[in-house]
Amino acid sequence: MSEEQRDRVWEVFRQESEGDPMVHGGSVRAPDEDLALHYAREFYGRRQESHRLWIVPREAITELDDPDLLKPPFDRSFKKPGGYIIKHKLEAAKARAGESM
Amino acid sequence: MNETERAEAFYAHVGSGGKVEADDWMPDDYRAAVLKFVEMHANSELMGVLPEREWILRAPTLRRKLALTSKVQDEVGHAQLLYRVAEDLGKPREQMLADLMAGRTKFHNVFHYPTESWADVGIIAWLVDAAAIVSQQALRDSSYAPYARTMKKICWEESVHIMHGRDVVLTMMNGTPHQRALVQDALDRWWGPLMQMHGPPTDPTKDKDLHWRIKAKGNEQLRQEFLSIYVPRIRELGLRIPDEALRQDGDGRWHYTEPDWDELRSVVTGHGPKSQERLEFRRFNHAQTQWVRDSLLGPAAAAA
Amino acid sequence: MVAPGLTDATRTALAELLLSLADDEFVIGFWDSEWTGIAPMLEEDVAMSSISQDEIGHARALYELLASLTDADADAIAFGRSPGEFRHAALLNHARTDWAFTIARRFLYETADATRLAALARSSYEPLANLAAKMRREESYHLMHIETWLRRLASGTGAERLRDALTRAWPDAQAIFTPLAGEHELVRSGILPEPLTDLRTRWAERVGSVLGELGITLDAAVVADDGRTRRTDEFEWLHGQFTMVAASEEGATW
Repeated sequence: MSEEQRDRVWEVFRQESEGDPMVHGGSVRAPDEDLALHYAREFYGRRQESHRLWIVPREAITELDDPDLLKPPFDRSFKKPGGYIIKHKLEAAKARAGESM
Repeated sequence: MNETERAEAFYAHVGSGGKVEADDWMPDDYRAAVLKFVEMHANSELMGVLPEREWILRAPTLRRKLALTSKVQDEVGHAQLLYRVAEDLGKPREQMLADLMAGRTKFHNVFHYPTESWADVGIIAWLVDAAAIVSQQALRDSSYAPYARTMKKICWEESVHIMHGRDVVLTMMNGTPHQRALVQDALDRWWGPLMQMHGPPTDPTKDKDLHWRIKAKGNEQLRQEFLSIYVPRIRELGLRIPDEALRQDGDGRWHYTEPDWDELRSVVTGHGPKSQERLEFRRFNHAQTQWVRDSLLGPAAAAA
Repeated sequence: MVAPGLTDATRTALAELLLSLADDEFVIGFWDSEWTGIAPMLEEDVAMSSISQDEIGHARALYELLASLTDADADAIAFGRSPGEFRHAALLNHARTDWAFTIARRFLYETADATRLAALARSSYEPLANLAAKMRREESYHLMHIETWLRRLASGTGAERLRDALTRAWPDAQAIFTPLAGEHELVRSGILPEPLTDLRTRWAERVGSVLGELGITLDAAVVADDGRTRRTDEFEWLHGQFTMVAASEEGATW
């Protein structure tokens, strides 16, 4: 077994300020969780730039990047606010309401 | 889609500003080119540690001691970030370190030269890092996304180094005549390597790294940007740049004495004044700490 | 002068205490900063460098506190003395040596420092109590880091090297608790809430219990009277390094 395989890769996510989303920062190599924590702190916190870190073994991450699943080809506009164009309908409704008053 | 079509689609994607992630399919020659580029960058950060490291024990005040140690630490950190990018392209870190120490891979010319005085610490942190940041800023647009993201973090840290270096230089320029002479002497010695640092002008149509947007700007463009920003900042301190031919024409273009490209080629292939000594120092320390890695990583280490 | 109400004797003793604390942090910070760029792994390189920077930062704060007592300048105290004027413990006279010695020394030093700072956080001299409390926040991380390394080395193929290094460092580590000139005065005034001898006992128990778990025992050791005044060629060399630029030109600013 090579040194590469005995040493694990840990992905580090950081929260810049309280309430911010956790954003991927990068990765460190360490043989165990204790040292991974130390090294994550060094690489993503030594300038006081992080409020919180998540340290995750790379193999625990499941990736999905299939465009067929994430950007399906058929219409999904009904799922987004921009999919509802109401300007003209609103104008018509206001005009009608004004007439009936 | 056959392999050729797939590659064509890939190059059309990166050519039009598309990004590539580590797990994405990529043509072998693109992978090889990115790896080579990032590996040399990582090597340079790691070897770049050594000239300044010599002054960590000699820093003359508590604050300078902190700033310099922190700066050199950042360079080690950059080496780690870049080796991580390269590792994910398929080459193990141990292999990259072995290739570096054996002289099979290269590192930047400026790290093959000696440091002679405390003024060198200022000139390196200010001007060598400034020349580096000009090219690193352009790399934030690299088509290889993990590299581009890493460059954003690195550029942010480098900007602190430039401030540290400039502060060292300014303090000495405001000091005694001897201190000013030390700064001038350091500039005289570092100017040649600085002018060579971005490399000779290349033909953009033949530069693969440029074509595939691994890098975003050509060598001469980077050198021109460096000169535009830093020549005035150097001169305003009363320092003399050791090139009689250096001047800017009406179009803003800098003219200068042709850098010694033979020296550059010779230096980066391991024939610089400190090349072999620094590689030997790396080999020595790597060997001295092998038992630690073996102990930490378990009994299988003997096979590493 | 920020300490009105102190007698001359108390002030002198306080200055001696601050100098010993500051010099300990300064010298260990210098030795360990030498790992920057050449530590066993890149990740660890950055971690050890941070720790050495923390120590220099603590030394700086302590020198500044001392400077406020004596109307001096922190840099002048740090860089302007001869080797014989330093007051760090004999443990810190040794060169960086190798990783095993670095881990062994750091473990003994960090545990001693933690014991010492826990007491000083209760000091009647408020600026010192405040500073000790602040230092403890960073030192607790150092302790976690060093204990992780101690356990990893003790359970790996480096165990023998670690044991040898601990054995070598142990006698001189006692010097961290070598009684200070004027210590009686410090204890009487509550500046030092407990005598160093008592702190040493507590420290030795803590070290014994951690090492005991790892199957390591160390021989009984004594506290040498010259534990904070003895100097070595290795320290002379280090002193030559850190004064090289600072002493190169009289009156220059760097």
